[in-house]
Amino acid sequence: MNISGDNSGLPVYDPRGVVEAEVVSIAARVTSLDGLRLGVLDNTKWNGNRLLRGITERLCAEHDFAAVNQYAKESFSKNALPELVDQIVAENDIVLTAIGD
Amino acid sequence: MNEAVSNLSMDRLAGDTDLVEWYFEQGFSDGFPVVPPTPEKLAAMLRALGGDPERVECKVPPRWGSLSRKVLAINMVMAGCKPEYAPVVRAAMLALTNTAFNLNGVQATTHMACPLLVVNGPMAERIGMNAGCNVFGSGNRANATIGRAVRMILLNVGGAWPGELDKSTLGHPGKYSFCIAENEAQSPLAPYHVEKGFDAADSTVFVIAAEAPHSVTNHQANDARGILDSIVSAMSTYAHNNAVSSGHCTVVLGLEHALTIAGQSWSRHDIRQYLWHNAQVRFGDIAFDHRYGKVYNRSLPKWYGRELDDMNPIVPSPDNIHLFVAGGEAGRFSAFLPGWGHMSSPVLQGIDGEAPVTGPVCVDGTCFL
Repeated sequence: MNISGDNSGLPVYDPRGVVEAEVVSIAARVTSLDGLRLGVLDNTKWNGNRLLRGITERLCAEHDFAAVNQYAKESFSKNALPELVDQIVAENDIVLTAIGD
Repeated sequence: MNEAVSNLSMDRLAGDTDLVEWYFEQGFSDGFPVVPPTPEKLAAMLRALGGDPERVECKVPPRWGSLSRKVLAINMVMAGCKPEYAPVVRAAMLALTNTAFNLNGVQATTHMACPLLVVNGPMAERIGMNAGCNVFGSGNRANATIGRAVRMILLNVGGAWPGELDKSTLGHPGKYSFCIAENEAQSPLAPYHVEKGFDAADSTVFVIAAEAPHSVTNHQANDARGILDSIVSAMSTYAHNNAVSSGHCTVVLGLEHALTIAGQSWSRHDIRQYLWHNAQVRFGDIAFDHRYGKVYNRSLPKWYGRELDDMNPIVPSPDNIHLFVAGGEAGRFSAFLPGWGHMSSPVLQGIDGEAPVTGPVCVDGTCFL
């Protein structure tokens, strides 16, 4: 059916537009949590902080973190501000977040 | 034929191919048959858009596809638009991709809200939009296909395919098309865009994340307060997102209601102020009187009361009520359209680069800086 290259036939069109995106691989997985700095990012949904509080308490009971740092997004439906992401990256080795609808 | 068009096609198919079925098979449709673009139709659309067809107007989340003028033209032709609709669709896409609107969230949310478009100014009449009978319904090409073109772009370029990047639990019938014009010709009030500082001769498109219109019936009141009290009743429920997440909402006055209200010399400002002042919900209702644990609700403004019997407004300011007059001559009905919440701000975009006038703006006898 495809007669591409030939100028005859019915032209068809792609309505999707190109996506220009950089492929970024995920960070290497850690093998132990002890001694690491834990960042806790609250997305500000109603129950997000409750869920995070519970999980953080359990993690802290089982692991010896060097620090536990708390952060909150401006809005649960918007991306975290780039400055906040940069700060979390600079101050932590691992990050915990939750939706908590 | 426009030279740019000859390079646009992704392929050429045998002359007996059923193109409507082919576009369905590619997954490029909103569920209805599309108009297969031809070089002639695309050339006309690109002429209407003007300039370089490769120029990217915006990127459309959550897929973040680039909306070049040629891709805009392809989607508009597929939706059935006439070339003269091009400035409206372009302005709508610029408004929707304004950061304040948070299209990424509107497209992906589990909530039902979807973008509503309201066109103001001479452009609406020039392209034959319906602002009268059945304004939210079917039957008018401009309303239907402008809204459809926007939806096609949100699907094809933005990737908001149901269940993939659009996670709405129940969806919204306006996700086929959701586009109206204000009935400026018959409205007794100033047009919406004039209230917001534009000149009456300018044309604008307003976008807001909105639920479906909720009918407000009032066949009894012959005064402003009575009619507005019915709208207050529709607004004052804790089931919609404004009550629990603040933000913006839309009120559409039907023509008969608008004439009665304006007949008592109420201005747009008076109407919005009255609705804001009276449309309230008890905090204890939102929090279910703490039946499921103590609730503070971080989605509401900090200044809202959190004691169980505190009454709070449906939206934080009269400016967060967006007021339009639309519909046919007969029928004492209006509509309330709840919004998505504080996560999205509506945007009013000038069509073809028109900007608001500067200095104090006086509307229906009330002046604002």
